[in-house]
Amino acid sequence: MKLRQSMAGLHTWGGLLPSWLLFVIIFAGTVACFDKELTRWMRPALHDGVVSSLGADDVRGWLQQNVSEELHAFWMHGPTEREPYWRLGWEVDATKTIHNVAFDPRSAQAEPMAETVGGEFFFKLHYNLHAGDIGMYIVGLAGMFMLVALVSGVIIHRRIFKDFFTLRPKANGQRAWLDAHNLFGVVGFPFHLVLAYTGVAIFVASYMPAAAQVSYSGNVMQYFGEVMGSFEREEVGQPPPAPVSLDALIVESQRQWGGGEAGWVSVHHPDDASAVVDVRRRDRSRIGSPQDTLSYDAGTGELLNRQDASTGYRAYLWLAGLHMAQFGGTLVRLLYLLMGLAGCAMLVGGLQVWLAKREQRGDASVVWVRALNASVFAGLPLASLALLWGNRLIPAGFAERAVAEGWVFAGAWLLVALWSVLRRQQGRRLLREQLLLGAVLALGLPIINALTSDGHLIASLGRGDWVLASVDLFLMVAGLVCAASAWRLNTTPAAAAARGRAARIQEA
Amino acid sequence: MLLLAFALAYLGMVLLCLTMNRHRGVLLRADARLPGATILRLLAAGCFGIALWQGIASQGGEIGTVVWFGLVMLSALLLVLLLAWRAHWVLPAVPVLALGGLLQGVS
Repeated sequence: MKLRQSMAGLHTWGGLLPSWLLFVIIFAGTVACFDKELTRWMRPALHDGVVSSLGADDVRGWLQQNVSEELHAFWMHGPTEREPYWRLGWEVDATKTIHNVAFDPRSAQAEPMAETVGGEFFFKLHYNLHAGDIGMYIVGLAGMFMLVALVSGVIIHRRIFKDFFTLRPKANGQRAWLDAHNLFGVVGFPFHLVLAYTGVAIFVASYMPAAAQVSYSGNVMQYFGEVMGSFEREEVGQPPPAPVSLDALIVESQRQWGGGEAGWVSVHHPDDASAVVDVRRRDRSRIGSPQDTLSYDAGTGELLNRQDASTGYRAYLWLAGLHMAQFGGTLVRLLYLLMGLAGCAMLVGGLQVWLAKREQRGDASVVWVRALNASVFAGLPLASLALLWGNRLIPAGFAERAVAEGWVFAGAWLLVALWSVLRRQQGRRLLREQLLLGAVLALGLPIINALTSDGHLIASLGRGDWVLASVDLFLMVAGLVCAASAWRLNTTPAAAAARGRAARIQEA
Repeated sequence: MLLLAFALAYLGMVLLCLTMNRHRGVLLRADARLPGATILRLLAAGCFGIALWQGIASQGGEIGTVVWFGLVMLSALLLVLLLAWRAHWVLPAVPVLALGGLLQGVS
């Protein structure tokens, strides 16, 4: 009994305090399952599904013409099924700033598309909260708390098999929410455990850097190079010869691999005679695709190195791959999406149990927790919808367009948070109004999409473009669910009053 | 093929559910006769096993196993949600899912 009691305390507090943060991480990760589809929706230039006919040399040509600073490196990725366009990124040597550009697939010349944060916004929110290295550490800490909460949760659950199929929505508030929390936690347990563990493992070298720092006397890059079996060479300080064609190197790589697709193509210190071209293989048929990278001399095209990843690194890639769900196509991403939603439901359920318990004791300070709940659980989805509205309504030529989209998201979230705090005493009404707002925002998006681009639902369905149509369809379903929930909340006050206290607990 | 695997996983969950008196009373009439709990559990394990085999056959060992885990978890969620709000849909859902799976396999 002693163990169970101490674990109950740990589960309650170790689970409660990071749960709002975990909701942000899990929700963002869930949306990020379909980040590339969302990006396509957010870029009207991609709506008609044209695949870019540019080559790697055209992209490099654009870079040479438009960027004059000396570069540390640049990297590019060709069109794929989910992203039918060229992407380019570069790091300026002097300032270490990183820039990204995506090229319009409809254009015969390299021409950048209007800036947008794209679906990647959610991916970044998922792993570092847009707060750089500090955010990454915060997320890692939250991930470890999630592991603690999962294990302690199993220990304190007395009837894990007996209650496996139990959900009693008509029971009193605390009981019903505890059932829901248990259901989503226990049934989704393998998923939550594996995803929390692999999520923490991805940045393990940053979270636990001591061993590598000591063994390699502070030279961590050497450690990474050796583990990954990648190739580096020092700059020689001489101007480069005329570079060989990147497209030719991609073809050569495919010949070396005996077929297969090229993924990222990167060039290190391109303005130096020591420039190296890395061509990485893209393999979606496995969980941990081996980073089979070929390194060439940028001037002569001579093959310098064939990456040979160590066994440890392969194991790492497998764990990271299992987390990132880039294998198995739409089916796996859909499964991850649904299980991610189950994770969100688990968090919401757990918080409701905590609230219901304290509300029964007549604790007055729970309204603040309820306000926090509303600001996060309603605020984040509403802000995400606002981000998509911003994406459609900010003009294409707007300077720093992606930054503006980010501010729309942040501003909308702050407003919802403020709203939740001001209305903290009227939880039920607040929830209903937030659901209504969600319905309006979500149902409006397919309409605004139709008004501002050619990729509206009827057009995309007519072309059989289910990928693009599914974003609109998902928004419509989400909007209808919000509207139906708001309507139910509106029509049941009499029943709720009869149930008295229990219903008030359920509402927030 | 995978809808059929989902149907099998769901059937396995239903069989496990029927071993518990609490749920059995909701799903079946009181005089319905069923094999013993051990046999039901073995049948359920068989369903999960065939579903796993189907996942592996269609997606390969690594990815098939991951997909199977996902399908099993989701089938349990579907069952519990139906059980809580639409209990009389629980049993008819088995043939409906299986039929869908067969149609998906044929087309």
